[in-house]
Amino acid sequence: MDFTLSNEQRAWQMTARKFAEEEIRPTSLGRDEIDDPRETFDWEIIKKGSKLGFRTLAVPKEWGGHGTDFVTQALVMAELARGDSAISKTFSQCWKWSHLIAAACSEEQKRRFLQPFLEDDTFLLGKGISEPSAGSDNRLPPDDPKAGLKLRAERHGDEWILNGEKCFIANASVGKLFFIDARTDPNAPLRQGTTMFLVPRDTPGLRIGKVFNKSGWRFYQNGEMIFENARVPHANVVGAVDGSDMKTHAAGDRTGGDLFGDLELAANALGVCDDACAMALAFARTKTQGGRPLFEQQLIQLKLNRMHLLTEALRAFVMRVAWEHDHKVRSANAGLCMNYSTDVIQEVTEINLDLHVGAGIIDARADKLVRDGIIWSHLAGDSVQRMKATRRLGR
Amino acid sequence: MYNLHLSPEQLQIRDTVREFVAQEIKPLALKPERLEPRARPLLVEALDKASHIGLRTLALSEEAGGAGADNLTCCIVTEELAAGDPDIAAVLAQTSTLAHALFDRLMTQEQCARFLPAFLAEQRYHLALAEHEPDRDTALGINYHRPQGREARFATAAVRAGDTWIINGRKDRVVGASLAALFAVRASVGEDGAGTLLVPRDTSGLGITRSETSWHHGACGALTFENCGVPAENLLTAPLFADAGRAIPLDQALNLGIGRAAYEAAFDYAQLRVQGGRPIIEHQAIGAKLAEIAIRLEVARASIWQAAWASDHPDAFADRSLPDLPLTTIAAVFAPEAIYRAVKDAAECFGAMGVMRDMPLQKYVHDARICLHAGAGNSEAKLRVAEALARYRRPTGAAALAAE
Repeated sequence: MDFTLSNEQRAWQMTARKFAEEEIRPTSLGRDEIDDPRETFDWEIIKKGSKLGFRTLAVPKEWGGHGTDFVTQALVMAELARGDSAISKTFSQCWKWSHLIAAACSEEQKRRFLQPFLEDDTFLLGKGISEPSAGSDNRLPPDDPKAGLKLRAERHGDEWILNGEKCFIANASVGKLFFIDARTDPNAPLRQGTTMFLVPRDTPGLRIGKVFNKSGWRFYQNGEMIFENARVPHANVVGAVDGSDMKTHAAGDRTGGDLFGDLELAANALGVCDDACAMALAFARTKTQGGRPLFEQQLIQLKLNRMHLLTEALRAFVMRVAWEHDHKVRSANAGLCMNYSTDVIQEVTEINLDLHVGAGIIDARADKLVRDGIIWSHLAGDSVQRMKATRRLGR
Repeated sequence: MYNLHLSPEQLQIRDTVREFVAQEIKPLALKPERLEPRARPLLVEALDKASHIGLRTLALSEEAGGAGADNLTCCIVTEELAAGDPDIAAVLAQTSTLAHALFDRLMTQEQCARFLPAFLAEQRYHLALAEHEPDRDTALGINYHRPQGREARFATAAVRAGDTWIINGRKDRVVGASLAALFAVRASVGEDGAGTLLVPRDTSGLGITRSETSWHHGACGALTFENCGVPAENLLTAPLFADAGRAIPLDQALNLGIGRAAYEAAFDYAQLRVQGGRPIIEHQAIGAKLAEIAIRLEVARASIWQAAWASDHPDAFADRSLPDLPLTTIAAVFAPEAIYRAVKDAAECFGAMGVMRDMPLQKYVHDARICLHAGAGNSEAKLRVAEALARYRRPTGAAALAAE
């Protein structure tokens, strides 16, 4: 067992820490407090981060990216999330899909899409799966062909015509390129009847609907995508027609897991927990009651103990999963770690808030971290995500 | 005799208030602009209607002109109101409770003659308690099982000048500050005493500002007193409320109403939403989750109702029917944790919709979180239970100072 980081991993970690502390953190609360969900976004922070490499971190070196390993990616996500969880997620959302481009797209597609992505600091990526009546059914698809996403794609010569609606799509209002899952065989079950398409933002017939107004992760854009006879060239099909499960297959995973996505949420949670622990510790040391620091009180020590033990256990789990991904050890651990990160981020941020409010301080950042943590419920820790991880164990 | 029956009157009033909330409050409370997590203006028209059907004077004795409801009934009504709107519930609970304490117990006939007729005549006449102070540290914390130091005294002080009390100081987290006509202000009086001063809204030197935060229920505000003078006879020296450990658990009843609103929303949605080929309530995972929510709320209700009933029947402690425990503080520890967990689970049933600001679930979570962190939080309340278990009695007033 060797827990030391390489010089390169350490360098990325330090760059991310500095950027989070100096650039992200100062804007974080202000962005959170903006009421209009379209206005919470800030292109300046994206451009600055992009120039430091945080947008293109996961693109392989041969294609001009940074080609970092999973351990580095986990470290950087956690460090950025210490500054702001949602800003970290906006960057890592690009890694999620640049992994996919590198793994699943043809050489011709890489030339068309990876090149402009690398050159443009404002080029963000997204993926459209969820629909109003298809959430859990996309995650754990039943055999019934009627279940799951309904966005329809029909072939007309060299083009596909897309009709339907996506909702809760990350980066919908700011992304330039989307991976869209559409039904190409409505009579087959979801996995066998769905195809993934590369859909640029300026595709005719595609428009962005409302931007959702979330209680947490306010910086992170999330919107509707409406397809009305949207025309996508056949050359934009990713992998095979009726074979949408490219994300996991092309990455070499046969466990049904989402290699990067599961790690992503767990690593991001770790950064939020680090932030909460640091806040709580600093507060307990400086805030006094009757002239004595709170830190001297037993109940305060027990709360700090709980926060730190959960956070350090999560760190051990996150880094192990990242290491396993780098060594192509495939297991259900990524899913389990993601589920676990839900429990940890919520308990740790709740204790941090409790510690502040108990001493009479309603701290806006402590409240924000709790609201950000609640986002994990439906992304990472609901019963469907837990059963999905369990089914990998059962295979 | 162990008896869990509600009286016909209690059942009737519960049904009446539930119907009222469904018709008059819920449709307004669920408008998107009221779901935003910011300080919300009170729904004054709905509040007025609730006052009109007698909820403002619910606890006031019948002799004084109220409904004379007991504590359990008041808790039931507060739960029903809070299932519609916690701010309305908080304001009405406070006015009704204070009316009973002030007019039925504490005021002299002369004082009643000055204040009661106007209170009864004007449906918008509300009462407010000004107790909390921004800089006063009341947490048990390091004072657990030790005599408390001087810092627990009110910084707001009343000084006698002839026939007048001159008040100076600041108060915050005053429920219903924006519309109260009469404030019961807790203050230091004289050298080492404390008392309650009755301060009418239009008193010169009293400043009222609305709170910008949504961190407290009841449209809270802050008060400033700058050489604010009230007649000498506006001082009440008797304690405003009995032992907090056995007081009426209205805050918990309000919290329970929030929990029930979340549960009802999740229960309805689970029957409508189809995934995996059937309504999600028919899936084990969601079915068990709804069961857990219902269980948590029901056990919380049992602890709240027991505390409420006990506060109506203090003799039940004396005859050993009830354990010698601070049942209200126990409910204040148990219920907020159980309800917060239940509300979070209810929101989870909605998937991403559970965190959207134009949907009610995130508001229920926020509202329940406020209850969880009310006062100095749950650890604090646990320490108070611990002191009660050990029968620790904190020396008060001069004795405390002598002990330092």
